[in-house]
Amino acid sequence: MALKGLDIFKLTPKTNCKECGIPTCMAFAMKVAQGALPIEKCPHMSADALATLGEATAPPMKSVTIGAGDAAYKLGGETVLFRHDKAFISQNLYAVNITPQNADEAIPELLKIDYERISERMYVELINVAYGGDKAAFLETVKKALAAGRTLILEVGDPAAAREALELAKDQKPLLNGANPSNYAEMNALATEFGVVLGLSAPDLDGLYDLTAELEKLGNKNLVLDVGASSIKDAFANAVQIRRAALKDSDRTFGYPSLVNAAKLAPGDLNMQTALASLFTLKYGSIIVMEKMGYAQALPLYGLRQNIYTDPQKPMRVEPGIYPLNGADENALCATTVDFALTYFIVSGEIERSGIPVNLLISDAGGYSVLTAWAAGKLSASSISRFFKETAVDDKIKNRVLIIPGKVAVLKGEIEESLPDWKIVVAPNEAMGIVKFLKDMAS
Amino acid sequence: MGKFITIGERIHCISPAIRAAMESKDPEPILKRAKEQLDAGAVYLDVNIGPAEKTGEDLMKWAVTLLQEHFDNVPLCLDTANKKAIAAGISVYNRAKGKPIVNSADAGDRISYLALAAENDAICISLCSKSGVPADNDERMAYCQEMLEYGTERGMEPEDLWFDPLCLVIKGMQDKQAEMLEFVRQLSDMGFNSVCGLSNVSNGMPKTVRPIMDSVMLAMAMQCGLTSAIVNPCDLRIMETVKSADIILNKTLYADSYLEL
Amino acid sequence: MPFKRTPQQFAASIKEVTIGTGDKAVTLGGENVFPLYSFDAPISNPPKVGVEFSDTGPDRSVPGIAAFYAGADSLGDVAKRACDMPGADFVSLVLESADPNGDDMPIEECVALCREVAEAVSLPLVIQGSKNVEKDAKLFEKVAEALQGKNVLLMSAREDNHKAIAVAAVMAYGQKIGAESSVDINLAKQLNVLVSQLGIGGENVVMNLGTAAAGYGFEYVASTMDRVRGAALAQNDNMLQMPAITPVAGDAWSVKESVAPEEDFPEWGPAEQRGVSMEISTAASVLAAGANAVILRHPDSVAAVSKLVSELM
Repeated sequence: MALKGLDIFKLTPKTNCKECGIPTCMAFAMKVAQGALPIEKCPHMSADALATLGEATAPPMKSVTIGAGDAAYKLGGETVLFRHDKAFISQNLYAVNITPQNADEAIPELLKIDYERISERMYVELINVAYGGDKAAFLETVKKALAAGRTLILEVGDPAAAREALELAKDQKPLLNGANPSNYAEMNALATEFGVVLGLSAPDLDGLYDLTAELEKLGNKNLVLDVGASSIKDAFANAVQIRRAALKDSDRTFGYPSLVNAAKLAPGDLNMQTALASLFTLKYGSIIVMEKMGYAQALPLYGLRQNIYTDPQKPMRVEPGIYPLNGADENALCATTVDFALTYFIVSGEIERSGIPVNLLISDAGGYSVLTAWAAGKLSASSISRFFKETAVDDKIKNRVLIIPGKVAVLKGEIEESLPDWKIVVAPNEAMGIVKFLKDMAS
Repeated sequence: MGKFITIGERIHCISPAIRAAMESKDPEPILKRAKEQLDAGAVYLDVNIGPAEKTGEDLMKWAVTLLQEHFDNVPLCLDTANKKAIAAGISVYNRAKGKPIVNSADAGDRISYLALAAENDAICISLCSKSGVPADNDERMAYCQEMLEYGTERGMEPEDLWFDPLCLVIKGMQDKQAEMLEFVRQLSDMGFNSVCGLSNVSNGMPKTVRPIMDSVMLAMAMQCGLTSAIVNPCDLRIMETVKSADIILNKTLYADSYLEL
Repeated sequence: MPFKRTPQQFAASIKEVTIGTGDKAVTLGGENVFPLYSFDAPISNPPKVGVEFSDTGPDRSVPGIAAFYAGADSLGDVAKRACDMPGADFVSLVLESADPNGDDMPIEECVALCREVAEAVSLPLVIQGSKNVEKDAKLFEKVAEALQGKNVLLMSAREDNHKAIAVAAVMAYGQKIGAESSVDINLAKQLNVLVSQLGIGGENVVMNLGTAAAGYGFEYVASTMDRVRGAALAQNDNMLQMPAITPVAGDAWSVKESVAPEEDFPEWGPAEQRGVSMEISTAASVLAAGANAVILRHPDSVAAVSKLVSELM
């Protein structure tokens, strides 16, 4: 975060000695803030002042990496509290908690969640294995989880059990979540020895703050902060205050990613966990642990996450191609629209509601909405005919009716010229009219 | 940084009607001018009672109470050379809508106005000058630093010193305008609030030209980071400029009817 | 060094709007903190949860909804049952049949249904229109007249019909209105300006800022709501300080994830739980972004979301 001149001025000697070549300390501070002069130009800056400045110019929130190889994930590194202020950087991860009792069913279950949505693979990134006091059972579960090929969270505060689990999982660089005010020295030693990120928890926010400061004093800045599971209210309050302290109030002690254990906050209540996972996806959970992730939970949550972590400057786009809807085959009607994800979803949703088989043809329109793409020359008769050629639409589809968006009705003539075999039909202006339009067409 | 703050300048003892009203404690002319300015969109109202050496304390209390009672604790800018009158005014001032502003301190004889502001937890307009017009921005910055240290030593928060770069009349000092704007930029870079008395800049120009000159200067200064100005809010062009610039600088959300708000 | 808490308690606050009458009346808004930040300052009126059903009855194709309303045959019975749904703070009737592009039910019949529902309910009533601008303008005028004294919330007044609805509903018959924009912050503000220029105070207006199901461009919804709340509280923009209500159910129960039959996507499992999860996820998200009320359909969703709210307060 850029420092205001005033913050720098406070650290200057305020003597206007001019040794830096500037008439006043105030003007000097301003030039430093602008980057026009290095702070070292002032011969009278104290070491403390320089250290304060160095810390103040560091990023407000650290980014840490858990996992290894293809299963390595970056967490944190956020710079804003609201995505419209810039963008959220590192999307949150979802984890499923498994126990020695349910591991054999739960692991295959969570592995079933594996699908693609708008060019992104959706799956459960992390498996949380909690130590329940029985070391053998714990290690056995860790082994089973490792076999699933996902990155692990080892939720264990017993240093001996943690060491053995780390021996098993060290190559996959799991998150070691288990340091607390009474065991942190040993846990820190383990995390450092195995080169893994350490998760911290404490009975309350002040305790967590002190613990984080202690770990930093020990030289460990590879941390994740567990917001705790004493109550939903406290977990939310902690997640918000941790992130807000770091990003708004420049309190770098809390500049770490967070972990929210929804499974513990609402045990046995998957609906509540879905609500919590949604809440924490919007507000500041970096890792969210669930008891279970079936399709019912995954479909909304992964869609939500994909939305929230979209860069506001770069709208989501769908891949150009032929999307058969309602079981459309080569004889079904064709309709075309732009590759702007929102437009695609609205149009495809309405087509699906109509129940009429339609091949939806998406061409590269720069990720803009219909009118914007048209105005920018990204959606035109030539862009559509180019798509038809490149995708070999004529070979793949027998039907020769193409529905174009109502907002670009003006393109009808030109498209007819460039696609002479096709009958061009203009759709309604608004997506709301699609269902009726298609039903009328089909009847 | 929030929306631009306009300080209405029309309750001023230099106006014969206001002077007469203050002498006879006749509320009507003062309330009328206050209402006009608030309807036009002024945020603060400046209350200039003149030097008022003898009756100042009583007069300022009367004016503050009068205006705040009638206009929902409208925030005020207390403007007089009589420091005791300012203190008296603040003693009856209601802060619900904003701290009082002391108008004004400088780095010379009037630096003690900052002490007055500090004692009363008030904002203080701080002219970046000592005696006369500062020669250049280095000099302005030196005064700024002096006042900042004086004020903060006495417990003021830096954001309560509203620095005035000293607007200079264009006709005659045309070559100084760009530098003055640059100083506004510097104040903004430092993170300070700023204020200027806008009407100065177009002094001596024809009546038809003045609103245009004032508005453009204001827009340019806002782009440089100016956070408030003492203006005639009844000048429609000025207020439209402020509202439009606030939209462009994303200080307030656009709506088609933004000029009517 | 202890953690220094810096609560964001604003000088500005969200206006309060009360719907319904008597001891079951609900008040939306009033907070001076960001959504659900009860740790910054107490939130005197926690967000409210409403139960939606159509003028053709609840969506009985969903087993859990059908079971809940079993035996409730008339619309009055349905309305009464909806009031008993655990977690419900208010109910919401959708005048779906009024749509001129659909059943085009005559206004007198719609009014009669509204009257039947209003007589049956013990909780405050929110009425959603046909989504047709011209029809709603005429419809709401008559509904407002018929339900005088009930203090109902009539959604939705839009850019093209706000004047007729606002004048009739609020000024003539003392009802509340929902100013509807669709994920367009400037229009949301403009609509509030226009309504206020009619002489209608913020205590009569609730904003429906538009919504989408989770995954369907929800980032626009979240950012619009974030910005509205930011302007209302941090910039003290009194033209955006009205409380917000979000009808979540319509979108949540129409996306593919909620309606696709299990036969088509066997791995997805039963449609009902997918719909419930979609409804819960979307509702929790709009609450996090600033909704003061959400409107839902399924008993499980209503239970989960109302519990979420009470846990957070």
